[in-house]
Amino acid sequence: MGMEQAWLIPAIPAATAAVLILVGKYLPRKGDWLSVLAISASFVIFLFVLKDLADALASGGEFEPGRSGTDWVAFADFKLRIGFAFDQLAAVMVTVVSFISLMVQVYSLGYMKGDSRYGWYFAVQSLFAASMLTLVLADNLLLLYFAWEGVGICSYLLIGHYHEKQSAAEAAKKAFVTTRLGDVGLLIGTILLWRSVGTFDLSEIFAAVRAGEVDQAYLTASVILLLLGAMGKSAQFPFHVWLPDAMEGPTPVSALIHAATMVVAGVYLVARTMPLFEAADGTLVIVTVVGLITTFLSATMGLVMTDIKKVVAYSTLNSLGLMFVALGSGSVTVAMLYVFTHAFFKALLFLASGSVYHATDELEITQMGGLARRMPLTATVFTLGAMAMAGLPPLSGFWNKDELLLTVFDNQNVVVFLLVLVSVVITALYMTRLVLLVFAGEPRNKQIYEHAHEPVPAMKWTTVLLGVLTVFAGFVVFDQIGRLMGFPGGFGKFVFSEEGEAFRVNAGVTASSIVLVLAGIGGGFYFWWGPALRAQAAAQAIPRLYDLVRNKFYIDDAYQWVINRVVLVVAAAVSWYDRAVVNDTGVNGPADLTRFGGFLLKFHETGRMPNYALVMTAGIVVLAVIAFLVGT
Amino acid sequence: MIPLEHFLVVSAVLFSLGVYGVLVRRNAVLILMSVELMLNAASINMVAFAAYTSPERFIGIIFAIFIIIVAAAEVGLALGIILRLFRNRRTANVDEVDQLKW
Amino acid sequence: MTVTEVIFYFIAAAAILGGLGVVVSRNVVHAALSLVFTLLAVAALFILLASEFLALVQVLVYAGGVAVLLLFALVLTRARDMNQTLDNNQKPLAAIAGLALMGVLIAMTVLTTWPRAADEPTLVDFNALGDALFRSWVVPFEVASLVLLVALVGAIVLAGPEEGEE
Repeated sequence: MGMEQAWLIPAIPAATAAVLILVGKYLPRKGDWLSVLAISASFVIFLFVLKDLADALASGGEFEPGRSGTDWVAFADFKLRIGFAFDQLAAVMVTVVSFISLMVQVYSLGYMKGDSRYGWYFAVQSLFAASMLTLVLADNLLLLYFAWEGVGICSYLLIGHYHEKQSAAEAAKKAFVTTRLGDVGLLIGTILLWRSVGTFDLSEIFAAVRAGEVDQAYLTASVILLLLGAMGKSAQFPFHVWLPDAMEGPTPVSALIHAATMVVAGVYLVARTMPLFEAADGTLVIVTVVGLITTFLSATMGLVMTDIKKVVAYSTLNSLGLMFVALGSGSVTVAMLYVFTHAFFKALLFLASGSVYHATDELEITQMGGLARRMPLTATVFTLGAMAMAGLPPLSGFWNKDELLLTVFDNQNVVVFLLVLVSVVITALYMTRLVLLVFAGEPRNKQIYEHAHEPVPAMKWTTVLLGVLTVFAGFVVFDQIGRLMGFPGGFGKFVFSEEGEAFRVNAGVTASSIVLVLAGIGGGFYFWWGPALRAQAAAQAIPRLYDLVRNKFYIDDAYQWVINRVVLVVAAAVSWYDRAVVNDTGVNGPADLTRFGGFLLKFHETGRMPNYALVMTAGIVVLAVIAFLVGT
Repeated sequence: MIPLEHFLVVSAVLFSLGVYGVLVRRNAVLILMSVELMLNAASINMVAFAAYTSPERFIGIIFAIFIIIVAAAEVGLALGIILRLFRNRRTANVDEVDQLKW
Repeated sequence: MTVTEVIFYFIAAAAILGGLGVVVSRNVVHAALSLVFTLLAVAALFILLASEFLALVQVLVYAGGVAVLLLFALVLTRARDMNQTLDNNQKPLAAIAGLALMGVLIAMTVLTTWPRAADEPTLVDFNALGDALFRSWVVPFEVASLVLLVALVGAIVLAGPEEGEE
């Protein structure tokens, strides 16, 4: 079992999804065990493949990614291939996807119990796992695009799981349409690259670009279009509007798709095509700018929102923005490290929120408070996740924040660095706020407080496992730990774009980040400890700004205005054209004309013999004249 | 020495008059009379050609005889139809028999 | 201008006048009588064309039989009592059609050169005519008699009394 068998990893969940969709409802327990079994099998196979990869790296020499797959269509010079390539970048992603999928599916065994569409839920979960795994293992852009779309569909289906609720259906539609706009960019970018290089295969494209075969302007256009696709899926500004609304879906779905896996597909895409971004001048700057805007937008909104899942969603946006900043600094390593650790603590935060929701049936944090006394385990793991998000050492989140600051310090200008530092403070602020308002202090709603309880084992132990990983996962950056696991070194040595980086420390940067994190946490306590009077006073001091942020900067309203005034108007015009011109005139027109002609013609059947005789005579005369003229 | 064309012209005029009569007259019997006119014109034509172009074979004359025979038969039957029509509809005007219309 | 020609023009004029009378006359009986007049004129033309037998047959059958039959029909259909216009509203168009037809026919007649065997009509041998009629043309002759038979039966059926009528 080696890297050539990597295709099994997405194939097993795919087959399972097919089985579940077709015959799921006839299986015992609607087939949930089959889905969990499939993803576990994928994970186990992945471990074997990973070992093979580690051995290949250890043996030294030039490393070639393990290939597998089959040609699907091949004629003349056109080739479509279902191909998989297993390299280090793919290894990181598969770890995240398969492990978090497994955790989420086990958690769902408890959370989704009694749901009316229980079997369908697991079928789509398997399908999603299959699509996402295909996406990260694909060796050519076309297969990646297919998997990209597949992931989008599963997201739509899962967000709209409770589709009897109008808001859920709307949210699913919004997610799909918004990411679709980005997907168009991805498709056109793919086609442009194919037209200039002649192949979809990624390694061949990279070789061609390195050799300088692609014109600079053309390359920049393609890269920006690919970036649009990444921005759509990873909810960067201005496509960020779908992610908070996607919280309408079940919480495990939020944990899997909108925290750990699908939203990092965009980050993965940029990381995978980094050679293109480096070759096209100026694109990395755009990446950085987009990431910064997203980070600040979401961090400020997270400070004022009161729905627990929405706050975590905004923190996801925050992290995604910082990942893009990392990519913009040219460091695939840091971005992937962020993806890796973020998967654990963000999934943990979502699943723990799900435990809270399941126990109290309430999402508004204004109604909560003091829950730590009733749900101590959940409170502990939630706090661990929140602190990891804030960047408190020695939790995993600290390591990637540190690496991020270091890389920004080295590769970007001072302004960017200072902005990232500010974002660190704000992140710590709102995460502390969340923890304090939910779990600490006095309960604000007695009924909810009385009702709260620890979750069922399936939910409890998955969150605990993720909590443990949140604490320890960050240590993979150290070379010693890496070598202990059989890899050539720490994370930086394992995942890289150009050259491996060993873990370094810049004392000044690290110190300032720790100070800012502590300052943020302290500020959180200052404003929101106890009855949170100081926070309320601060909110009343800047009413207009507060309203602006609370209304999500009116971006959603702006989009709705555009849809109402532009899109729907165009649609109405096109619809009018189709009805009036194409159908009534084009299709019905000749029929109506014929009918009218027939109506007019019938009047010549007068029934009177003299009329007929007259016409006959006229005809004879005409014929005679013609015959006479022709004859002479 | 009457040229052949004179007879043919007379025939043509009589024929045209007959056509006019068929188109214009309302009473069925009058239309029948116009038809007789046309048949006679045709007979003149036949006989004129026979006399002037091939007198030894007199086919035109034989033809004219047959025209007369058939015309007689036809008139008999046509009048029978007109009488039946008159009995059913109290009218002999072809204008008023227009049931087969739109 | 020989006598024959004068006679011819006279008879031709009579025939045409008679024809006009048939199609233009306001009174139906006048129209019927004009028809008789025309038929007799046509018989005279036959004589001019040196086929007396035909003229005889014309007078006997046409002027004698057919015309009388038509008069009977006019009486039986109460044509004179029905007080109405005799012409329908197609008159102008019909006049044009008729004139056009006449023009075309006359043009054809005049403009074509007809093959000429004799300068004037030669008398038809009566015996030869009878011979031809009952030898070469016997089949059409018999068929013609069948036609007459059928017409006779048909006329009786059509014009005869209906069921329950006297």
